[in-house]
Amino acid sequence: MNTHDVMNFLPLLAILLPAMGGALAVPLERRGARWRNTVLGAISIATCLLTVALLPGALHAVPLELPLLQLTPQVWLHLRVDALGALFATTLSLLFLLALVYAAAYLPRHGRLARYYGFLMLCQGLMLGVAYAGNLLTLLVFYELFSLLTYPLVIHDETPEAMRAGLKYIVYILVGGSAVLLGVIVSFYLAGDQPFAPGGMLDAGMDPALLRLAFWCFIGGFGVKAALMPLHGWVPDVHPAAPASFSALLSGVMVAAGCFGILRVVFEVFGVELTRSLGVAPWLAAIASVSVLLAAVLAVGEDDLKRRLAWSTISQMAYVLLAVSLLAPAVTVAALVHISHHAFLKGALFFCAGAFARHAGIRRVSELDGIGRRMPVTTAVFVIAALGLVGVPPLSGFVSKWLLGIGILEAGAPWALVVLLGGALLAAMYLLPAVWRACFGAPLEVPVTARSDARGGMRFALLAAAAVTVLLGLAAALPGLPLSLARRAVGAFFGAG
Amino acid sequence: MDVIDLRILLAPAISFGCAVLIFLLGARARWRRVLALGAAVTKFIVILSLLPGSLAGKVYVFEVLEFLPGVGISFRADALGMFFALVSSTLWVLTTVYAIGYMKGRHARVRFFGFFALCVSTTVGIAFAANLLTLFLFYEMLTICTYPLVVHDETPEALRAGRKYLAYTLLGGAALLLGMILVQSLAGTLSFSHAGVLPAEAGSGALLATFVTLIGGFGVKAAIMPLHGWLPAAMVAPTPVSALLHAVAVVKAGVFGILRVVHNIFGVDLLAQLGYASWLAWVAAFTIVAASLIALAQDNLKRRLAYSTISQLSYIVLGAALLTPFAALAAVVHIANQAFAKITMFFVAGAIERSTGKTQVHQLAGIGRTMPWTMAAFTIAALSFIGVPLFAGFVTKWYLSLGALQAGAWWFVLLMILSALLNAAYWLPIVYLAWFRTPAAESAPIHEAEALLLAPILVAAAYVLLLGISMQVSWLPFSLAQAAVRFVAGL
Repeated sequence: MNTHDVMNFLPLLAILLPAMGGALAVPLERRGARWRNTVLGAISIATCLLTVALLPGALHAVPLELPLLQLTPQVWLHLRVDALGALFATTLSLLFLLALVYAAAYLPRHGRLARYYGFLMLCQGLMLGVAYAGNLLTLLVFYELFSLLTYPLVIHDETPEAMRAGLKYIVYILVGGSAVLLGVIVSFYLAGDQPFAPGGMLDAGMDPALLRLAFWCFIGGFGVKAALMPLHGWVPDVHPAAPASFSALLSGVMVAAGCFGILRVVFEVFGVELTRSLGVAPWLAAIASVSVLLAAVLAVGEDDLKRRLAWSTISQMAYVLLAVSLLAPAVTVAALVHISHHAFLKGALFFCAGAFARHAGIRRVSELDGIGRRMPVTTAVFVIAALGLVGVPPLSGFVSKWLLGIGILEAGAPWALVVLLGGALLAAMYLLPAVWRACFGAPLEVPVTARSDARGGMRFALLAAAAVTVLLGLAAALPGLPLSLARRAVGAFFGAG
Repeated sequence: MDVIDLRILLAPAISFGCAVLIFLLGARARWRRVLALGAAVTKFIVILSLLPGSLAGKVYVFEVLEFLPGVGISFRADALGMFFALVSSTLWVLTTVYAIGYMKGRHARVRFFGFFALCVSTTVGIAFAANLLTLFLFYEMLTICTYPLVVHDETPEALRAGRKYLAYTLLGGAALLLGMILVQSLAGTLSFSHAGVLPAEAGSGALLATFVTLIGGFGVKAAIMPLHGWLPAAMVAPTPVSALLHAVAVVKAGVFGILRVVHNIFGVDLLAQLGYASWLAWVAAFTIVAASLIALAQDNLKRRLAYSTISQLSYIVLGAALLTPFAALAAVVHIANQAFAKITMFFVAGAIERSTGKTQVHQLAGIGRTMPWTMAAFTIAALSFIGVPLFAGFVTKWYLSLGALQAGAWWFVLLMILSALLNAAYWLPIVYLAWFRTPAAESAPIHEAEALLLAPILVAAAYVLLLGISMQVSWLPFSLAQAAVRFVAGL
């Protein structure tokens, strides 16, 4: 077997490795925490390296293809590594690694840890399947499975509040999944089983009613996951109810999986030309704009820290969809970059929220006064991530906002610039007061000397997320980082090779 | 190509001989067990040995006797018949193992196992029937053979259910007889043929009467609403019987009959021209939704299963009624998909009842901690019914939706989605109760049902997974289904 063949199996290995880790969770838990941390940590690092190893190929060569299994006589499950998928895969496996390290210190020592780690690893494998899916049905299979298997992570704490949030989650996800399925069935009926390819597989000669039906099914289905208003209902309830180590993933990459699905559909199922000629893009743009602004306004009015961050996720992810709906190259590059930059920023913020809750019992923004003196490391990371999300240079959030702004002008839609700036202003309004309180607010009763900052894995994950944020800001143009991959992917979408 | 082969007579004869021997043996329990299992396995092997030839396009025939010119008992194993026979004989092996475990220490086991074997014998007879008369004879025999099983417990409730069962199915049989006479007079033959036997010029009144009597007759066992009343009542029977009724034999005989009527008596072209099938499709659609809504309200696990069966069977009827190749394929494969998933659930319901005495859904909190393997199997079956990808049910949903689009009836695609969500609404709460709710007694140790009950559960659940991902394997039923559909609809 030559090296080329071995490379072909890497994406499959990247999916199976974490899934096997998930299967090991129960026996590992019996042997104790140290065993579990070592083995799962090693598996997670290996997965990260695998996804990184697939990057160069995605940047330069033709996409890797790996047929997996003939599901029915007409349909194959197959994997494919292109620039878009590789970018998403690397982002998510790195964030999963950080969340795993964080969870080891964050989760209480008792209570169903085997279930948590088992499903966490399994979900990572399935999400990598989403990233590497080579056709619609493969995407659907992995998407549906990871969405369902996330449930035990959502309700991990098993409080009544968590159970209610879990019910809401599962109802939204099932309905959304059904809509996606409907879209897949209609596209299959129109075009048969075809791999994702830039330019799309549907064409304007097909029944326009069915094409529109499929388009809105996809937007509605993936929009549930991507928290596009008015399909966002589960997001603000699920985030506060889930453990922080998981909320970070949920906001960072799982919501993004919905955006990822929409990107695939718009650029590789419908194609730019068809989407434009169907006349659906302006509607999507309008919905996304409302989503950006309205969610941000609601975030300003929210006192619960995790819930405020959840609203912020809704607002930030709507940027991506707004950018997609403009159907122009530069702004699409910005959208892809924003997905991965946002993942680490939001991950860091949720890690901080978890640390505040665990070490100081603080869950509300109004209680953050003076926490900076008691938890200096956590607060420093919180400040960096918050400033990043607002878009202060030279942090990663600035890069993606800058690119979005330039792209919007290039696409000739200056009105979208108003939305972008409005969103950024509102982001400042919902994050900076928290920062100000944490740094300069006067603590109420607790003496300043009671220092109890995040330690161990939590501290490591916090610092690592902050470091990634700074790095992505300072060195955005390095090859292999999101910008280069996004350029490569978008170049293909718009037919520049 | 037709090949005369004794094996297609052998298959029903094995079960029949087994039944006779069981009655002769009387109370010798060990011999009875050996015999029952031996017969099940032998028959499975005989049918499996026919499979390669059938896949290669051979059709096995055997004429038993001809009592009037053109009317006689004869067998013919085409791909559709082979499919049904293979599914039912596979399930018979599982059900026999389960029944041996389940019936331990119960009364009247000779009668039970004897009639059990007879039922399966007649089921194979139905599968291999070459004409409507043979089908009818075995269909009526099946009704009679299942009666002692339904009333096995001999409680007043069981006897009442038995009477209801007989009333419904015998009336259905009478309708069939009428339809059969009509077919004979209109077409001059009762033999099944690919393109249908009824002539288009027969006059729409006569054809409509034929359609209504035949579909109505088979529709009783296929539990199409409003002909479903017997099925929930028959839930009083012991669990292996419920499995037999719901998965292996009775209801499947009904839908198999409908497939035969649609494809081999009327033929797709004639039905499309007449337009009756769209009415049937709407009745099936109504049944799918209405039965699911009723299932939502049931707290008794077996009753919920019963209404789910009614809903799922109409998937098959809908698939047949859409008259497109993909829909026909969905109809045929769903015979297997529904059978394996439903039998898993019935086995699980029985195992829970045997080891904990619980029969109601609300009592199941935390049962996943005490019976993890059993409930894992249940979860697989539930996900299959919802139609999660990679599980068997997804294949049906996929092809049925495509078939509906082929027929230009996109609203049935919405129906499939709605039905999937309804399935989620009544299966997921059970999964949730089992795994995510703490049991009343906190420290309940793992206590699974005995191996004879657990093993068939796990095998059936594994089969559900297998049916979902490996349709290309030739010894699985899917390739036969494809052959069957290629045969009737030119896929």
